[in-house]
Amino acid sequence: MNISANRSRAWWLLLPAVTFLVICFLYPVGTFLLESFKVGQGVGLGNYSTFLSDEINLEVYWRTVRIALLVTLLSAAVSYPAALAIMRLGGQYRGLLTGLIILPLMISPVARSFAWLVVLGREGLLNKTLVGSGVLSESIPILYTESAVFIGLLQLMLPLMLLSLTSALENLPKDVQAAAKSLGANEWQTFWRVILPLTRDGLAIGGTLVFTGCITAYVTPALLGGPRVTMLATLLYQKASVTVDEAATTVISVVMLLTTLLVNAILRSRSSRTT
Amino acid sequence: MRPSRFNNTILFVVLFFLIAPFTIVFMTAFSDDNSLIFPPQAYSFRWITSVLQTEVFASSLVTSLWLGIGATIIALLLGVPAAYALQRYRLPETEWIRTALTSPLIIPGLVIGVALLRQFVLIRDGSVNLALLLGHSALVLPYAVRVVGASLANLPRDIEDAAFSLGATRMQIFWRVVLPNVRGGVAAATVLAFINSFNHVPVSLFLTGPGITTLPIRMLLHMESSYDPSIAALSMLVILFSIFFVLLTERLLGLSRYV
Repeated sequence: MNISANRSRAWWLLLPAVTFLVICFLYPVGTFLLESFKVGQGVGLGNYSTFLSDEINLEVYWRTVRIALLVTLLSAAVSYPAALAIMRLGGQYRGLLTGLIILPLMISPVARSFAWLVVLGREGLLNKTLVGSGVLSESIPILYTESAVFIGLLQLMLPLMLLSLTSALENLPKDVQAAAKSLGANEWQTFWRVILPLTRDGLAIGGTLVFTGCITAYVTPALLGGPRVTMLATLLYQKASVTVDEAATTVISVVMLLTTLLVNAILRSRSSRTT
Repeated sequence: MRPSRFNNTILFVVLFFLIAPFTIVFMTAFSDDNSLIFPPQAYSFRWITSVLQTEVFASSLVTSLWLGIGATIIALLLGVPAAYALQRYRLPETEWIRTALTSPLIIPGLVIGVALLRQFVLIRDGSVNLALLLGHSALVLPYAVRVVGASLANLPRDIEDAAFSLGATRMQIFWRVVLPNVRGGVAAATVLAFINSFNHVPVSLFLTGPGITTLPIRMLLHMESSYDPSIAALSMLVILFSIFFVLLTERLLGLSRYV
């Protein structure tokens, strides 16, 4: 078997998938994104300056990035202790818990957001409980606020961070924690100076998945944010189907994509370089 | 509080946060009320039977099932050979092709949907149904490439060389040596591809219309217009369907190794 025969064989196996992807995905998406640079008959950044000069659009952009960052940070903050707790469990329970964490990922986002409608509404479970127990004197709006979108997205994305961190911790040699302890480190020091640096890759992967998921999610902000809490995805939908503003649609698409690519690149460069 | 106690408490809260909302969906599904109240005032099967008898839900369920099956088959037919080539032959372009084949995961679904609508349906006059199928196929192709690829990576190359030295042809090696050994990965890819297509909203949002509507889109439309327990009943049925599907494959193959 010589190398050129291998090359051609590999290309024959790859050709169907690559052809399909180019025709049905890369070409339509690529040309669509390039249209954002079309101004009249020429090329320019006019669509971008129009989009960015509207304060509402900027507000939507920062809201989206802010919520995505907060969800990413909080999911990392709670996933570390939870993942460490899972690691202490025996094999059988660990499998069961992993199953329970994967399960929500397999369930329709529509059904998952719907549950929050019941909990967070004005007459919802949370308000009823808070008023009934005397914490609040009257019900407060939670649904159709940023908090509702935040809660919904956190529940949607948390499993991705948890799974990334548990698999990173699984690859961590068992004696590392014991070694740190025998050298006199307390739990806190062990976490910050041993566990965190060694699981940086898992954190970066989880962070990428969660942040990207938050930027691109449509159902959760549409159902829980309502008309007042617009995110990039819901703005894109409005511009594309309600106002039919083609320039804005293409610009938002590029902005969404660039934001996710930028954050992915940052997280990737922060991972395994120094470990 | 001791650190392990603290970690356990967080784990418990996280699991509660992840799982509890589904019990709310299940309880509301058995509500006997006319509007959505939690906890329900009385319980019955009436919303579940009413959902099962509603024509628009049944027809969009059929659409979603066919769409999921079609997209999964296309993704496997394209993705399995590609995953094999990426794993077995070291080409200079391997990393580029791998990135391209998994790129639908990082492109927002809404962008895929609106791009296919514009470039395929509006400009080239293609059919919306076909665009929907192709969009979903592209969406789930990365699962076939990645999951089957991970499974192939664990398969020692020696057994293929052994088969080759025993006189097997390339085709025989693929069908009788490689494929049986990665069937777990192929099955996991099938489940992930199907479930993801079945539950997916953003790509479909622009590519459905009066003639063809997927079940999740139908549920969204219904939620916009009415506030009754029928969505809870429908959600419960969809959740049970997913759980059944996942448990079945987990039992048979251990899906959790591939997610």
